[in-house]
Amino acid sequence: MASRLSEMKGMIGDYLPGLPRSAPRFVTEDGTRVFGVIATFSTTPAVVHAAELVRDAGYRKWDLNSPFPIHDIENSMGFRKTQLPYHVFGAAMFGVLLAAALQWFTNHFDYQTGEGFGYIVQGKPTSAWEAYVPIMFELGVLHAAFAALFGMLMLNGLPRWNHPLFSSESFLRTSDDRFVIGIEANDPSFDPEATKRLLEEAGAETVELIEEDA
Amino acid sequence: MTHVHVHEEHGGPRIESGYSGVVTPPPPAADHGEGPVMTDAAYQKYLDKLAAHPLLRDDNVRLAEGAGKGIGAVLMGVGLIGLALTVLLAFVFNTTHALAAYEVGVFTVLACCLGALFLVMLLNMLNAYWTATIRRQLENIASLVWVPWLLLLPVAVIEVVSGGVLLRWMGDEYAGNVLLEHKAAFLNWFGFLVRYAIYGVIWIVLANGVLGVIPGVCSLSREQDITGDRWLTRRARRMSGFGLLLFALSVPLASFDFLMSMDFRFFSTMWGVYIFAGAVMSAIALTAIVLSVLRTFGRLTGVVTAEHYHDLGKLMFAFTVFWAYVAFSQYFLIWYGNIPEETNYFLHRTTGDWQPLATIIVIGHFIVPFFLLITRKTKRNTLGLGLMGAFLLVMQILDLVFIIRPMVYVEPGVEGPGYVGWALDAVGVIGVLALFGGALIAKIASGPLIPLRDPRLAKALKHKNYV
Amino acid sequence: MSSIHPDQVTAERLAGLRSGANVPGADVNTGLGDGTLVEDPAVESPLVLGRRSFKDVTNIVCGYAENPAPLWWWLAFIPAASIAGLGTLMILYLIVTGVGVWGLNNQVDWAWDITNFVFWIGIGHAGTLISAILCLLKQKWRTAVNRSAEAMTIFAVVCAGIFPGIHVGRVWFAWFLFPIPNYNWIWPNFRSPLLWDVFAVSTYATVSLLFWYMGMIPDLATLRDRADLRLRQGTSKPLALAMPGGKALVFPLVKPDMIRAYVYGLLSLGWRFSSRHWHRYEAAYLILAGISTPLVLSVHSIVSFDFATSVLPGWHTTIFPPYFVAGAVFGGFAMVLFLLIPLRELLPNFKDLLTLRHLENMAKILLLTGMMVGFAYATEFFIAWYGANEFEWAVFINNRVNPAEAPYAWAYWTMIFCNVISPQVFWVRALRQNPAVIWVVAGFVTVGMWFERFVIIVTSLHRAWLPGEWGMFWPTWVDILTFVGSCGIFMTLFLLFVKFLPTFALAELKAVMPQADPHPDHHDEGETKRNPGEAF
Repeated sequence: MASRLSEMKGMIGDYLPGLPRSAPRFVTEDGTRVFGVIATFSTTPAVVHAAELVRDAGYRKWDLNSPFPIHDIENSMGFRKTQLPYHVFGAAMFGVLLAAALQWFTNHFDYQTGEGFGYIVQGKPTSAWEAYVPIMFELGVLHAAFAALFGMLMLNGLPRWNHPLFSSESFLRTSDDRFVIGIEANDPSFDPEATKRLLEEAGAETVELIEEDA
Repeated sequence: MTHVHVHEEHGGPRIESGYSGVVTPPPPAADHGEGPVMTDAAYQKYLDKLAAHPLLRDDNVRLAEGAGKGIGAVLMGVGLIGLALTVLLAFVFNTTHALAAYEVGVFTVLACCLGALFLVMLLNMLNAYWTATIRRQLENIASLVWVPWLLLLPVAVIEVVSGGVLLRWMGDEYAGNVLLEHKAAFLNWFGFLVRYAIYGVIWIVLANGVLGVIPGVCSLSREQDITGDRWLTRRARRMSGFGLLLFALSVPLASFDFLMSMDFRFFSTMWGVYIFAGAVMSAIALTAIVLSVLRTFGRLTGVVTAEHYHDLGKLMFAFTVFWAYVAFSQYFLIWYGNIPEETNYFLHRTTGDWQPLATIIVIGHFIVPFFLLITRKTKRNTLGLGLMGAFLLVMQILDLVFIIRPMVYVEPGVEGPGYVGWALDAVGVIGVLALFGGALIAKIASGPLIPLRDPRLAKALKHKNYV
Repeated sequence: MSSIHPDQVTAERLAGLRSGANVPGADVNTGLGDGTLVEDPAVESPLVLGRRSFKDVTNIVCGYAENPAPLWWWLAFIPAASIAGLGTLMILYLIVTGVGVWGLNNQVDWAWDITNFVFWIGIGHAGTLISAILCLLKQKWRTAVNRSAEAMTIFAVVCAGIFPGIHVGRVWFAWFLFPIPNYNWIWPNFRSPLLWDVFAVSTYATVSLLFWYMGMIPDLATLRDRADLRLRQGTSKPLALAMPGGKALVFPLVKPDMIRAYVYGLLSLGWRFSSRHWHRYEAAYLILAGISTPLVLSVHSIVSFDFATSVLPGWHTTIFPPYFVAGAVFGGFAMVLFLLIPLRELLPNFKDLLTLRHLENMAKILLLTGMMVGFAYATEFFIAWYGANEFEWAVFINNRVNPAEAPYAWAYWTMIFCNVISPQVFWVRALRQNPAVIWVVAGFVTVGMWFERFVIIVTSLHRAWLPGEWGMFWPTWVDILTFVGSCGIFMTLFLLFVKFLPTFALAELKAVMPQADPHPDHHDEGETKRNPGEAF
């Protein structure tokens, strides 16, 4: 539990400037913190094959960067399906209830008990549920959409405008036509030599070490 | 803390990053031919591979000889008994009520067939490859459209001969009514019969064709099983384009003729869409039931997978929601406008004795399936989707009960039989459904369970939902 | 076989100097358009032409945003921006003067304004349809058009939002629309369709914007990385403006890449193409697609409720919700085609990404939705008679159809010709595969859909129950120029989009290319590649 807590503190420190960070596991000769190792690939099958090898080698803190989402990557990399849909569903239900409450309060409750006066439109009772449906739907959708986008960003730890990976020119090509597997030095299984060897044997075209700026 | 040596040379080869117009060398002469037509030899190779495919062996994609005969016979028997009881009760209890019960059954079956016919044509048009493995069951249902059409014949005859039972406008009861006189150009027994015949021609020809003259969309698919001619797929697609047009013209009119005109004062432009939405939903529901039963009995293993179920479930979900959207819009606009001719329809059904049924339909036809079908688990589960199909089919029956049955005891001062009458309703509906079930089993057993030589079958077998 | 070396051809094609289907020697598709009009059901037609690599696709799409704006762009942008300015002046004039400057009157109290509102909001729906419904239906060809169609959605909603906003007259009371209690403690009336409209349109605008923006995040990151790489490598070019005669005006000190790296960098939120991120991204995208589909239906349904909940003959009819949705999709697709077909000619290599098959598919959708709209017209007409309400029937015959009686019969028949008759040409394959024909029909449909709203709104209102109330509506110059101005706003925004943002969904485009398949377990089969046999 305590280790989990310090791990989380370290993660927040990685993200927000000025907060204490966890101790680096590896540093270079001139003392800069090592982020990890990245390997580049140029075809989809090659990188997926390599990802399966890295997964089977037991790494946890690693990632595969590709210009487009690769099908079925969660199996090749061995991570869980996202829980995002549940968050979105909750947000949608919240929106629906919010709209129902808003309309019921302003058009029915407040006019029955508050200082306002009830007004009947077209013979529709103030509590006519039918008329509330459109806005219940709209607010449900609105909240779901917010939850989908911002939930996705939050789970991804974005926005994060700077990242050690951006220092590498070959990494920047993932936005064009290259594939990169990056293994972080924080991973318990990380070993500078063995990890590099694993990636090379997995068919990497280049392997390079990524340092952090600070 | 470990020190590692950092190599001087940073990164791989220098990356070239250009503006547009920077020329990359042409890709190596690719081995994929962009030829618009595949050679027959190459296609034959594909067919040979299909024939040798381990998943497509006979004991997986065909029912055993004589399978389903027993249960089919039982269903037929139940059907005949049910219909006999309905006829009996029509004489001893109430003719109108018996006819209404029978019609609920017939229109449920007709909805399944027409919905399936629509889906077959739509999937042909969309060229959606993943549907290749489930399309045959839709075709089986659609090609039986002649059964409910034929079952409607007694209805049409009884209505015309006895001068209006449920279609009261046929009788003398309302002679001289201003509205009816205005509508006489459409609401007359002769036009009614002619249209009934035309609907039959359109639907049966679209589904089954005319033997040896015009092919139907379902018979084209079966023909492909034998000949392996891939151009039949394109022919079916072309037919579907025109077919959908004829479908869109005939189904709403039929729904006006048989259902909307039960109350000749009532009118709703949405009516055709409403009936259509329920029909497609029930077709999907019935397909899910059929596929689940086949899978439970060890057929279609690896052919119709959880992935196909997932997509079928999505369609089921979509049409449940679409039905709700259409039904709500229709109700809502009539409720809001509050014009007597229209509102009477809902007033009769959402107040008094029929109110509980209205609530059940709102909950059962929309809210419950919405929350159950939105989950991935239900959609991917054989039993789950099959049960959802059965549940939605029941809801479709209740929806038709909601449309038809309140028209039985409408005379002022006439009390309905209350719950006693439900027995007659059950007998009428079960009779028709069992009869159709027997016919469907025979149809399914009569050929392969999938289009065995569909050009998209190989790809459909590999279908997978990402995300 | 041509004597030009294939490398040379590819080079010219990438530079936009040459258009055409294929590298010489490999061109086996003669007679079938650009090679995508495959009739054989056993062959899938390619989504991207010319055997492009991922890098080619990146270069082509990013080039539109990075290369100096071509001359035609300026020739289109300057007039469009001027017209947009004119429209803004008209709005200002309306606000300082009052709605009296418009042609609407006591009888026809919704006219030009609401026609424009419904027209524009309808245009927007094609974007969401392409993004959402086609995504759910696994129609991969949508990747060619979804981005620009989504952009059109946003811009059309911007134009649509103007009209209900200004037609209320005293726009400074617009806050009455929101559930804020005022000095008399009066809440807005939630049983009014007009308030549903406020919620529906603002939700639609927000969700479309989120959807569009989310789709662009990875592509903006691509633009960011390209600018970044050029800056690091010293290959960044100074700002150059295209001048007539192929010359360019160069500003040596201004480097657009610095602005690009900063602005695209800020907007892309630090996206780094991580698979763990992609996974959640795809889930979020699918959810947004899933909720946008009913949203589109609901928005135009609610717009139709504005009319259909009333008891006015011609407005009160239950088929309005799906009929409006079909019409919106119809008009929206027409607008997408109307703008993209010229763009196909104007931007280099556009034809490789937006192929003839894509156009044919969209033409088919035009035909389908046109038939749905025609079906709705017919149903309405039939029920107007069947309903036996003489006022309803009078609206159809005396106000719309009969040229001898109806002063707006020309509008009705324009609508019928444009919306029902003109798309029928698409039954002929050669015509629906011809971009020029599609473009002309799309133009007709755009006009027709404007007239449809005009017919619904004005012809129903101008002659109500009593002959004493009968009146006419004619637009004033302010009416006309405001609508023209809204077209200018739309075009201006669209041209800015084409110039500065990724016009295609790069990542999605790459994901549907054959190279993206992680398990291409087939090799040397030559002719059967990309044919169904590959699935083994």
